[in-house]
This record gives sequence, structure tokens and C-alpha cells, in this order.
Amino acid sequence: MTPTVTPLDGSAPDRVAPTRAPRSRLRRSQRRAGIVFALPVIVLELALLAFPIAQAVYFSFTRWDGLQSTWVGIANYQRLFGDPTFWRVALNNLILLAAVPLAIFIPLLVAYLLNEHVFGWRFFRSAYFLPTAISWVVIGMVAIRVFSVDGILNHVLQGFGLDAQTNMLGGEFTSMLAVAIVFIWSVFGTNTIIFITGMATLDREVYEAARVDGASAFTTFRKITVPMLMRFIQFAFILTLITAFTALFSLIFIMTGGGPGFGSTTLEFYVYQQGFKVGAFGYGAAIGMVLFVVVFAISLAQLRLFRSRLD
Amino acid sequence: MAKPGRPRRRISRTVMFLILCGVVVVMLFPFAFMVTTAFRSKDQYVAGSGFSLDSWQMLLSVLPVAQELWNSMIVTVGGVALILVVSTTGGFAFAKLGFKGSSMVLLAVLAGMMVPMQSIIIPVFVDISRVHLINQFPGAILVYAALGAPFATYLMTTYYRSIPTELVEASVMDGANYWQIFRKVMLPLSVPAITTVAVLQVIQIWDDLLVGLLFLQTPAVRTITVGLAVLQNGRVVNIPVLMAGSLVSAIPAIIVFLIFQRYLIQGLTMGVSK
Repeated sequence: MTPTVTPLDGSAPDRVAPTRAPRSRLRRSQRRAGIVFALPVIVLELALLAFPIAQAVYFSFTRWDGLQSTWVGIANYQRLFGDPTFWRVALNNLILLAAVPLAIFIPLLVAYLLNEHVFGWRFFRSAYFLPTAISWVVIGMVAIRVFSVDGILNHVLQGFGLDAQTNMLGGEFTSMLAVAIVFIWSVFGTNTIIFITGMATLDREVYEAARVDGASAFTTFRKITVPMLMRFIQFAFILTLITAFTALFSLIFIMTGGGPGFGSTTLEFYVYQQGFKVGAFGYGAAIGMVLFVVVFAISLAQLRLFRSRLD
Repeated sequence: MAKPGRPRRRISRTVMFLILCGVVVVMLFPFAFMVTTAFRSKDQYVAGSGFSLDSWQMLLSVLPVAQELWNSMIVTVGGVALILVVSTTGGFAFAKLGFKGSSMVLLAVLAGMMVPMQSIIIPVFVDISRVHLINQFPGAILVYAALGAPFATYLMTTYYRSIPTELVEASVMDGANYWQIFRKVMLPLSVPAITTVAVLQVIQIWDDLLVGLLFLQTPAVRTITVGLAVLQNGRVVNIPVLMAGSLVSAIPAIIVFLIFQRYLIQGLTMGVSK
């Protein structure tokens, strides 16, 4: 309640006070409206995101079958880090990590070509982007037929006169390799679009100047395009890495089922296996926490990179 | 100076065009394979020639396609609707109204984008089954909404921030209440952002497998992606039938893609431009 100042001489009261009173009332009603409007998203995220995170942390310290839980301290984590399967699975995540640079570099080159606006570039752009709309289930369905023994890959190799009988889905390392290839194929369009968008923001005159100076296409790509697109490259890198670690469940489920053995099981798939196949909810939650920490660290690294660029 | 460069330039552009064509072949070949195989019987597929609708007939007999498409549609529409409600109201609140600690709350909501689904899926599954919403559409819809809302709220908040605050203030002066301002001023102005959010989420939810697999297990509520996964893992492997099923499940998302491609690109690149 703002006090209204009434001057003793009976003249008109100070003009600041009365206008201030409704304004603060206005401010208060605006804040109240703010809370009401923000409430739905807050409630939803508290109930189905924040609360489950707290639960996941708690239950990762328990033995839990979904109904009853017993506190076991850090036993799950001890077991996890002593579990050779866990390290086998973590290795698969490293293979995916190794695939990320390729999933960045190829789209970068193609985006550079597309940016030259050669004949039909709009069609190319749409065609490359199309897999973005396709589910991992469908992609996986076709991918099996590409890599199977009597599949497309072998037919193509035979077409080139090679007597190839590859069986990529049958071997532990090769099945992970097949998953990684499909992954690169799937994110190709997304990353290409990100880089084209980035290149559209670049000043064309810089290229013209470089051309006048006699720089080759390769030199302009390396000395101008890549450095100026750094922000977009970082963004694509993080997005691709997080996709690799958290979005390939369906692809692996369809394509390999995580096998043979644990050949193509990644951390996210291991959570599912332990939680819903084995029924070890506490252990599964602990694996989920490891994944959470990894992804969170990657995201924070991204924030830091962006901050340091802004400063 | 340009003249001697011209033929060289034409050659290099031709080479570029050919490379891009090669990439198109790699990108579109799987689709061509899916479509052609779907219109072959098993024998025709083995022989590599001829077309028929046999596989479609068989698909309809092994998979309740219409039912599953319908189920997919229910969870997609429900999930997207819920996401739009909470992200537009939330975006308006965070961008234009504010309250004590609203920037911290916004940051917390946005941090939700960094949470991998697999890290929380076990507790969420247990919670949803405690309230008896497993194999019920609302259960899956709530989970989809919670997963999609952080990014949607980010998009909407960013968009509303770009709308001049004077517009809100002027409406307040005119005696409009905040609900009226939201409905009559903010919502109509944010149709492009709403479309972007909707397109991104439609594709996301329609294409999902994990949530459907866990939260909609019985045949009556199964979505098309789950139906396909079950078919793939079944004993009878009939490739043309699987391709027909894949095609059917992909078509709605492809249609959305073809119509709203521009919005999809916008949503995707939002992350860098800000």
C-alpha cells in the first residue's frame, strides 16, 4: 500500500504517488497471471520429469522390482563399474562417438556444394532431409534388408564384380558398425540443413573476394566456410552426439536387438534390457543415471562453448 | 578475366551436380526399395520382377492396420495438443508476465531438454502404472507431453520475447484481462511458432517406439510403430509384408514433412540462431 502524500497547503497531491499505486497493483496482478499461466507446464514437468529424476536417483541406490525397494547404498554402482558387460556397452557408445565427426564432415561438404545452388539444389535439399520424417523403426526395417547376407549391400558389391558375402549383422563389431552407418545416414539431412542455414548467413562478398584473389574451392571451404560456421558446427556436433547416445533405442531394437551378444547394445539400450527385460529396476536406474551424467556433461560443455564465444 | 574461367567453372559445377546426384541415390534408394518391395508378393520379391497387391492383403490380415493407425493418431493429436497448451501459456508467462523467480523456473524447465528419456523411463513407468494408466491413452499422452514440453516452451518463450511488450501494455490499458490478451493478441500472432512446435512434435510422437512399447502394450491400444516392431520380431518373416507395413506407417509423417518442411527447418535451426 503506497501512502498518498497530501500536501498541507491543500493543493493537488503529489502526482507520483497515485500513479504509482495502480501501477504496482497492475504489476502484482500481472505477476499473479504469470504464475497462473506458467502453472500447467510447471506441474507437468514437476510430476513427469523432476519427480522421476529424484526417484531415479533414489532408486539407483536400492534393489527394486517396481513394488518393493531395499536400500543397498552404492552397491548398484559398484556392481556396474565392475561389470564387464557395462564396459562392453560403454565401448559401443565410444564407437558411436567416433562416428560423429563423419556425421558432421560429410554434411558439411555436401552443404558447401548445395550452397553453390547448382541445378536442382532445392530438390536435393528436400531429398536429403526426408529421413528426418521417417521413424527409426522404418529405417531399421529397411536397414536389415541392406545389411543381411542376401541383402542389398551384397547385391551391390556383387554388381561391382566383388564376390562379397558380408554378414555385418552377424558379428559383434560389424553389427555396431552397421548401426553407426545407418545413424550417419539418418542424421545426414538434419546436419546438412543446419549447415546450409549457417552458410546462408555468411556474406557472399567474402567468397567473391576470395575467388578474385584466386583461392581454390578447397581453400575457401577450409579457410572461410569452416571457421565462420564454427557455431553451427558445434551445435550440430552436440545435437548429433546426444542423438547418438539417447535416440537410437528404436533403431537398435529393430535392427539388431542389441546383439549379437552385447555387440550393438549402447547405454540407453542397456537401461531397457536391465530394467524391462531382466526386471532389475534399481540396477537399470543406476545405468540411467550414468547416461544422465554423460549427457548432462555434454550439454554443459556446449553451454560453456557458447558462452565463451559470446564473451 | 572471367572468360578463361568459365569452361572450368562449368565443369566444376557439373561435377558438383553429379556428386549431389550420387548422394540422392544413397538417400532415396532405401525408400525406393521399400515402395517397390511393398507392391510385390514374396515370390515376386525373390524373383525381382512383377508387381501385385498380395502383400497388402496379407498385411491387413496379420496387422490391424486401421486400428493401429487410429491409435497412433489419438496419442499424437493428444500429445501435441497438450504440449501446445502448456508451451503457449508457459511461453506467454515466461516472456511477457514474469513472477518472482520466473527466470529460474524457466531455466529449470529448459534443463528438461537435457534429460535423456531412458534415465527416467523406469520411475515414470512405475508411477504411471501406480495410477493405473498403463495401456490407457492418457498415460502415453502425458509422457509424450512431458518429454516434448521443454523444447516447445523454449521455442514459444523465444518467440513471445520477440513480440513488443507495448502490445501487452496497450491491451492492459484498454481494460483487457490477461486471458483475453493471450487469446486475442498473443495466440494469433504466434501461429508460425505454434505450427513449428506442432510439426516437430507430430513427427516426434508419430515416429516414437519406446513410449508406445512400454505404455501401450495390449493390441487394442497399440500404435502402428509398435505393431510393426512386434511383426518384425515375430516368427514369420515376410519382407514385402514388412515393407508394406513400413510404408503405411511412414506415409502420414511424410505428408506432414512435405507440407510443413519449412517449419521443420525453422524449428531445427532455432537452437543456433539464439
